[in-house]
Amino acid sequence: MKLAKKIFETALSEGRTFVLEHEAKDIMKEYGMPIPAYGTATTADDAVTKASEIGYPVVLKILSKDILHKTDAGGVKLNLKNDDEVRDAFEEIMANAKRYGEEKGIEVDLSRGVFITQFAEMGTEVIIGVTKDPQFGHAIMFGLGGIFVEVLKDVTFRLIPLEEVDAREMVREIKAAKILDGVRGEDPRDVDALVKVILAVSKMVDENPEINEIDCNPTFVYERGKGVLVVDARILIDNPNAKSSSSH
Amino acid sequence: MNVVFRHPTRYHMASYKYSKCPISNTGSSTKEVSVLASCANLEDIDVFFHAKSVAIYGASPSPNSVGQAIVQNFLKPQYEGKIYAVNPKYSNVLGVPCYPTLGAIPDPVDMVVVAVPARITPRIFEDIAAKGSKAAIVVSGGFSETGPRGAELEDEIVRIGRKHGIRIIGPNCVGVIDTLSHIDTFFLPEYRCGRPRPSNVANISLVSQSGAFAAAISDWTSEMGLGISKIISLGNKADVDDDDLLCYLGQDDTTQVICYYTEGYDKDKGRSFFDTAKRISKEKPILVVKSGRGARAKEASMSHTGSLAGSDNIADAAYKQAWIIRAGNFEEMFDMAKALAMQPPAKGDRVLMVTNGGGLGVMTTDAIEALGLSQPHPSPELEARFDERLPSYCAVKNPIDVVGDAGSERYDVVFEEAIASDEFDIFIVGMLLQTPSLGMEITNRLANYSRQSGKPFVVISMGGSFTSKAGEIMELMGVPTYATGEKGALAAKALAQYGEVKYGKDFKKTFGADKS
Repeated sequence: MKLAKKIFETALSEGRTFVLEHEAKDIMKEYGMPIPAYGTATTADDAVTKASEIGYPVVLKILSKDILHKTDAGGVKLNLKNDDEVRDAFEEIMANAKRYGEEKGIEVDLSRGVFITQFAEMGTEVIIGVTKDPQFGHAIMFGLGGIFVEVLKDVTFRLIPLEEVDAREMVREIKAAKILDGVRGEDPRDVDALVKVILAVSKMVDENPEINEIDCNPTFVYERGKGVLVVDARILIDNPNAKSSSSH
Repeated sequence: MNVVFRHPTRYHMASYKYSKCPISNTGSSTKEVSVLASCANLEDIDVFFHAKSVAIYGASPSPNSVGQAIVQNFLKPQYEGKIYAVNPKYSNVLGVPCYPTLGAIPDPVDMVVVAVPARITPRIFEDIAAKGSKAAIVVSGGFSETGPRGAELEDEIVRIGRKHGIRIIGPNCVGVIDTLSHIDTFFLPEYRCGRPRPSNVANISLVSQSGAFAAAISDWTSEMGLGISKIISLGNKADVDDDDLLCYLGQDDTTQVICYYTEGYDKDKGRSFFDTAKRISKEKPILVVKSGRGARAKEASMSHTGSLAGSDNIADAAYKQAWIIRAGNFEEMFDMAKALAMQPPAKGDRVLMVTNGGGLGVMTTDAIEALGLSQPHPSPELEARFDERLPSYCAVKNPIDVVGDAGSERYDVVFEEAIASDEFDIFIVGMLLQTPSLGMEITNRLANYSRQSGKPFVVISMGGSFTSKAGEIMELMGVPTYATGEKGALAAKALAQYGEVKYGKDFKKTFGADKS
């Protein structure tokens, strides 16, 4: 896909091996993955305009080539309900990012402003990810989010590319699979939509082998018929120049 | 790339019978090319198993030496090819003519076994190239496994090999045993390390990264009555690797089940093994024991997913996706391989357990359930027929207990009715021969039911020397027999698992069906 290649080129030219959140989501959208409405803004006014277009509540996140871990830099503000809150959040994020840079002794590029996205309604939290194994190449991971992944490591893998039957097997074979059937009176979750996202990630990586790692974490799965939303997305890529000097 | 040019073949092996990959017939035209390309080296690999003339470089008359042990192997009358010793120090080794170089041998040499110190191997390979031999097994150690200097030597022999089209097994291995052609480069004297035999029922071939395990399995299977076609120790995998052998064994008529022991793969080689296995596992069962399951140091990872992925997780996924059956250890692997070699794959997962001892029935039932097989009770109609024909004190659910005073006629009742009912896909039979009423004719009857029904049978014969003997007899008739219920259940699981591979959507899966 041309769009992905262009984004990767830009990232590498800036010395980044990660793509910015809106870029990751642009690529994912192109592969048909469901993403909550989003935009970017470089000024507070701009942020307010975008936020009202998207509809409240919204989330603001710092968008900078120098910041991978946004929360650590005070660069994330959740559940903003009106224009004033967005305006304040914008200013605060910019100030935090600048301070974060000063503490680290780096000059943080603030020219890209912020990423704005709809504050997604909570669903059943899952994680879909990709890793690259030196022996087997790209593999996709699926698991339930939160404590299931953190504590129980209840995740499952398949090599990429995978087929629909593999994706369905993955969803069924984690230990906590029953949660997706709906527990304690809940309706069953939209497994069909989830399988589509897993297959989309597989296709995306198959067509863009320079991708090293992906996290779609969290991804929310709603009740059957209501779909899935990839709420936070991270794509890490290979740096072909760095590779020659590494220990491969 | 034209693989034929890369490895020009000078010898037309009489035994070579693979004109094309049978699998390629079903694929599209592009697929055909890739299948043929990846299996195009069959002919090179075949030399390792069917060489008509073999030279032992480093042959020696010294007692207890590697160079003597290998020559000794080829002196067996069963090996029908020619054998030459090469060593400038001698003119004769154990009665075999010994030459200073390969060039001095008047006839062509198909394969060279290299048993000389690592540092002189590059010179030996120049000699092999000059002779025109196309296969070399390097049993010597002292290569990449010892450090950078050894790695240089290994690169050097591989470079010479590539240039002249010499395929290399090893270095740092024990080489090859072929129980049919009697090629045997294992440098372990036969009185210390037994050699397996081929079976006329079905044969297993094993590829092992470790030479020590290859030897132990040779020794072990020689006493198990398990039919073996080939054992290959790959060592450092400098040239011939897991993929080459998987391709070759996939089309080898004398191999019915392929077993692997591996400690891991070189960069990207896990992926190519996966690709090859995916094509072959539908044709023949592939079993793998892989060590290194534990958590290993992970490379610095910037993503959550990366930090959760150990290489073993990924290997496990790859095996699953390529329909490879992963065994926890060698014992499990051979228990499963034996069943897969002797019995047809199951068409569903419904197990009927029949036993003349209740305890064995209960224990096996626990194992069946834990392995995810289903063990349904007979339908009311079938139960009625059992009730009608069996004494009232027999239990006719599942397991069926024909009890301790049963003779083989009670087993007859069970199989006549159960096979006709088509309510079961796999039969596990407890055959406890300690009871005075059960005669040895039970083995004959079980073998007949197994053949006639077309459904897989697994027998459990628990006990000491008498029952073990009965188990051996049972296996001679083609029905795999195990010493415990757990082993029998695992064998049944393998037959179901491979049935799922073989029959895909047509496999009748009932376990857990009532829960979702």
